[in-house]
Amino acid sequence: MSVAISSINLAKNFKTYEKNPGIWNSLKSLFHRDYKINSAIQDFNFEIKKGELVALLGPNGAGKTTLMKMMTGIIVPSAGKLSVLGFDPWERDKEFRKKIALVMGQKSQLWWDIPAMDSLLLLQKYYEISDMEFKRRMDELTTLLDVGSKLHIHVRKLSLGERMKLELMACLLHSPDIIFLDEPTIGLDLMAQENIRKFLLDYHRKHSCTMIITSHYMADVEALCQRLVLVMQGRKAFDGPLAEFTQLLGDTREMTFIFDKPISAQEKTFKDYDAVWSPDNQKVDLLVPFPKMRDLTSQILRDFPVTEFSTEKTPIERAMKTFMKNNTHSLQNQFATLNK
Amino acid sequence: MFFINVQKWWQTIKIWWGQQTAYRLNFFLQVIGPPIVFFCVKASLWKAIFNGIANQKGLDISSTVINGMTLDQMISYHAWAMIVGFLSQGMGSFDLSNDIRLGKISTYLIYPFNFWEYHTAGFLAFQTLQIPTTLLSLLVFSSLKIIALPAISNFILAILVCFVISLFWFSLQYFIGLLAFWLEETWIMRVMINIVTTFLSGAIIPVSFFPEQLQQMLVWSPFPYMIYWPTKIFLGQTESILFGVSILIFWTLIMGFINTTLWKRGLRLYTAAGM
Repeated sequence: MSVAISSINLAKNFKTYEKNPGIWNSLKSLFHRDYKINSAIQDFNFEIKKGELVALLGPNGAGKTTLMKMMTGIIVPSAGKLSVLGFDPWERDKEFRKKIALVMGQKSQLWWDIPAMDSLLLLQKYYEISDMEFKRRMDELTTLLDVGSKLHIHVRKLSLGERMKLELMACLLHSPDIIFLDEPTIGLDLMAQENIRKFLLDYHRKHSCTMIITSHYMADVEALCQRLVLVMQGRKAFDGPLAEFTQLLGDTREMTFIFDKPISAQEKTFKDYDAVWSPDNQKVDLLVPFPKMRDLTSQILRDFPVTEFSTEKTPIERAMKTFMKNNTHSLQNQFATLNK
Repeated sequence: MFFINVQKWWQTIKIWWGQQTAYRLNFFLQVIGPPIVFFCVKASLWKAIFNGIANQKGLDISSTVINGMTLDQMISYHAWAMIVGFLSQGMGSFDLSNDIRLGKISTYLIYPFNFWEYHTAGFLAFQTLQIPTTLLSLLVFSSLKIIALPAISNFILAILVCFVISLFWFSLQYFIGLLAFWLEETWIMRVMINIVTTFLSGAIIPVSFFPEQLQQMLVWSPFPYMIYWPTKIFLGQTESILFGVSILIFWTLIMGFINTTLWKRGLRLYTAAGM
């Protein structure tokens, strides 16, 4: 398999200035600004092969979208080397632009005040798609996405889910080699999320194109991607198969205990296990390392009036949240050791 | 290749038509409202001035002449100025700075059709939509006997000249839009440029009323060729067309060069906010 995307020591810095509130500070900022250089991405090295489906995961502000913007040529890298399909994205060669597509969950690319079909006809011309090919693609995509009846309605009148499907359609019309999806399921209800995921999987299977997805929803990643790249504070914290990642986080269990009277949240027994209490203090969720589970359970059953308890494998989202909150650096080190 | 490009442009113009006419009433009011108010203000202002001078000199208002112009000629001048405005000062690129500030240009950076092409098509779409508005104003003004329709050859010539002016106007608006890469808000810049242009182009006071020195200074600037000069063509004075058109083309090319440079530099600062 040949390489679709590769980056060497890629970096992006943003120059921002801080302004304190108030009129006086506004006036002051006219004459003097304290500029700060924020590093959004640092020393980023990675390689994506053609046909791969990769997820970029990380908390808000970690740099996922900045990476995406660099890979699509929207913003210019501050340092390092980036190659996408053999092109330097920042040069924005027309041939390069014809080979990629970007789907943004937060931003509509369809023209708001006209029916989607008009936008699609415009894109047909932009991407120089022949009438025959256009018809073939339209037939395929309308069936797959089930949007035949929505094509002639003004985009602003569509629901978010319907609009997202049409956004996908607009992006896939020219059969791009690489598809960048920036939070494609954001704001959608569960059914709609599932539909989009199913469509993306089917599409990938059929066309074996390269797909890069950023998402907040672990469910997206679990359903779609074989490979996961974790971005934290602008650096790569983990890069590998999803299974390995879950394994790394998976030696803890989420335990829930329900009591028949309120228990003090200050109780020492629960302290080390990231306890989340219900408002009436009669229910607690704990994250317990697997080896300690047996002892802890018997201790709680002995010392407290437990009426019910259950154990579950920790959802990745919760585990990640805890890790990020506690010590981002130690997690990075942990991943760094693992990657070696 | 040329044919493919024409298709891209044509389809883009159609999209712009669709967008600009999506809110029909809004579009109509936006296009026709401010110029009509402006015209009425100017007409009553000049009427008051003529009235004052007529009273002072004990003359009849219709025979009062200021700088070689009677009140009727002045009103007719301003009616033509309004029509020139319709034909040459479109609002095609008003959203440009918003597109930059709110990060909307990301989409156009990805399509294999350039941002300037997209907006220039938008400008052409807007200008063509102005034709019915112009015809309607011509009809109203001529039926009220405010203006006399010129010879057809002059008319066509003046319309072509207005198109050249509109190109310059567009390049100026595009320039202000691009400043959004550096400024958070370009609205005030637009207002300032519009006020300066309105004044120096003769939209309030005909350029021939300006002091001689100022008139001479303005000869090499694009301003008098934006309202005063095309209005004169509509009124039948067609001398120095070549000179005027050359000045306008010269300034449009200068603006084009500045805009290309600004775009290249600005894009380096672009952060694609909100994506």
